[in-house]
Amino acid sequence: MKPIISADVDLLKRRDLKNGYFSLTFGPFARAKQCRPGQFVHIGFKQSSVFYRRAFSIANTNADDKSLEIILKVVGRGSKQMADLRIGDSVNFLGPLGKPFTLPNKKQTPILVAGGVGYPPLFYWANHLIARGWDPKRIVFLYGGQSSPDIVDRARIKRMGVKFIPVTDDGSFGERGRVTSPLVRALAENTYESPMIYSCGPEAMLKAVDQIGTEFETPGELAMEAPMPCGFGICLGCIVPLRAGGTARVCQEGPTFSIGTVKL
Amino acid sequence: MSKANNKPDMLAQKHMITKSKKPKSKTPKTKPDLSVEIAGYRFKNPIWTASGTCGYGEELDTIFDLNRLGGIVTKSITRQPRPGHPTPRCAEESSGMLNAIGLANVGVEKYVAEKLRFLDEYDIGVVVNVAGFGFDEYVEVCAMLADCPRADMIELNISCPNVSTGGIEFGASASDVERIVKAVKKVFPRPIIPKLSPNVTNIAGIAKGAEAGGADAISLINTLIGMSVDIYTRRPGLTNNRGGLSGPAIKPIALSMVNRVYDVVDVPVIGIGGASSAEDVIQFMLCGASAVQLGTALFIQPDLPITVERDLKKYLTSQGLTSITEIIGKIEKY
Ligand SMILES: Cc1cc2nc3c(=O)[nH]c(=O)nc-3n(C[C@H](O)[C@H](O)[C@H](O)COP(=O)(O)O)c2cc1C
Ligand code: FES
Repeated sequence: MKPIISADVDLLKRRDLKNGYFSLTFGPFARAKQCRPGQFVHIGFKQSSVFYRRAFSIANTNADDKSLEIILKVVGRGSKQMADLRIGDSVNFLGPLGKPFTLPNKKQTPILVAGGVGYPPLFYWANHLIARGWDPKRIVFLYGGQSSPDIVDRARIKRMGVKFIPVTDDGSFGERGRVTSPLVRALAENTYESPMIYSCGPEAMLKAVDQIGTEFETPGELAMEAPMPCGFGICLGCIVPLRAGGTARVCQEGPTFSIGTVKL
Repeated sequence: MSKANNKPDMLAQKHMITKSKKPKSKTPKTKPDLSVEIAGYRFKNPIWTASGTCGYGEELDTIFDLNRLGGIVTKSITRQPRPGHPTPRCAEESSGMLNAIGLANVGVEKYVAEKLRFLDEYDIGVVVNVAGFGFDEYVEVCAMLADCPRADMIELNISCPNVSTGGIEFGASASDVERIVKAVKKVFPRPIIPKLSPNVTNIAGIAKGAEAGGADAISLINTLIGMSVDIYTRRPGLTNNRGGLSGPAIKPIALSMVNRVYDVVDVPVIGIGGASSAEDVIQFMLCGASAVQLGTALFIQPDLPITVERDLKKYLTSQGLTSITEIIGKIEKY
């Protein structure tokens, strides 16, 4: 018989990251150890103002205390409901779900490109790579937002020791412009050995990253988002069209896709 | 029941869906019996999963052992593969959802060659849901399933637009339904279950048409046509503009229609529409359903069939009943 992969967990820790961002840590989650960056949990609420479950990328896990962290921005009723949870409140986790990022080879330089709310899985990915022996200084972390408060959790990113390149539209923090500018520059100038892109963020940004990766013939993976009624492949509501024809389910064949595969 | 012919008997042995036998002893201490008989087949429980809400079974089996189900109704298949509508093709509502998936499916050939195989080793009733855009398509697809022993029964999705009559649903006309059922009965040797559309004025008349055509059972309801609008973009929630409403919002309508149909036909009725708990399943059965399909609720609680099975047993015990069949149609109406 198959294990049932839904489990009740409690909210253990809640941090206000300002500007509508929150970090929520849940546990104990027996499957914390099986989680991989790029994957998500589909969260069901006990008392809910929304009908569906809500999918959230995993932002970190701790195998020792079996906890799992989610970082979210309040953008709608589902994320509001999450942000309103209090310590001790219980929710139901279904997961981990979806296809994780694939590891680069040791020669490659991982370039993480995060835009706004796309930051959490890349934070997890950087942590995971470091834990697996990657030199933090060889991990490039591009992180873009509209303005300084959109670049959340900076202290933790700095503490990881990665090559952190923040970018804001208005130049209030880090470089002024788009997060794709330093990416193009690095690829054009061959700054890093065998770059491998990992990106998550708004669709317009992913589209730009996909184009850049294709133009510079640089491999990479994009973590996509889609409204997910079921989260595990049975409703066919979350599909994206593929370049090669046909469709793929974001929750099942994704949420990570190789650059060049999805028609963005 | 007399509907069983020899063929289901052989199949029953192969797939361990035992042909109906009368329960032997009736001592009060026996374990609660959830098995039900439909069209000459015995299902181990009345819990089925609804078409389009359980794929072809593979994904759900990673959540719980499919053997726990009475039956599975697979996603509608058509003659040719279909990509379905572009996204957004689902929209969340306050107590349910709208969908216009557009009958996305792999097509009958790939279904038979790849998908149906997966269910070979499971001891559950397999009901293959078939859709079409013309009479010929239904007949052709059903005929192709005739030689697939794993297709225990066919459920006909007649909520599809008939392209030859300007897109009116087949399910909207009693004579069309009768004609379709009659035609597919000729090419498929096992039970046929037309699945009725609720988007009609006289559900009882449609059900009678289905029965006259030779339906072995009748399932209902499919989704109710609905629409949603974003007030800022002024766009509908679905690229198809309209879609089908499902979930708890439609349960009262479904209960009413199931009961209406139960009162006018002799064949078993299978309830569908918003069922999300054992209590809901019991309500459908009291209204006349011999089995109940869980649909949208699986998206919210994927292991729901397990909870429902447990709670149905508890209910029987608490009511001093030995068999779930004792509640079918036992609503006490005013
Ligand atoms: C996403 C989705 C896809 C569906 N696809 C089909 C389908 O392919 N064929 C069909 O006959 N019914 C389909 N249905 C209808 C369901 O089988 C069921 O009749 C309806 O949703 C009402 O039950 P529920 O409220 O329990 O979901 C679909 C429903 C949903 C929500
Ligand atoms: S969310 Fe249902 S198939 Fe992906």
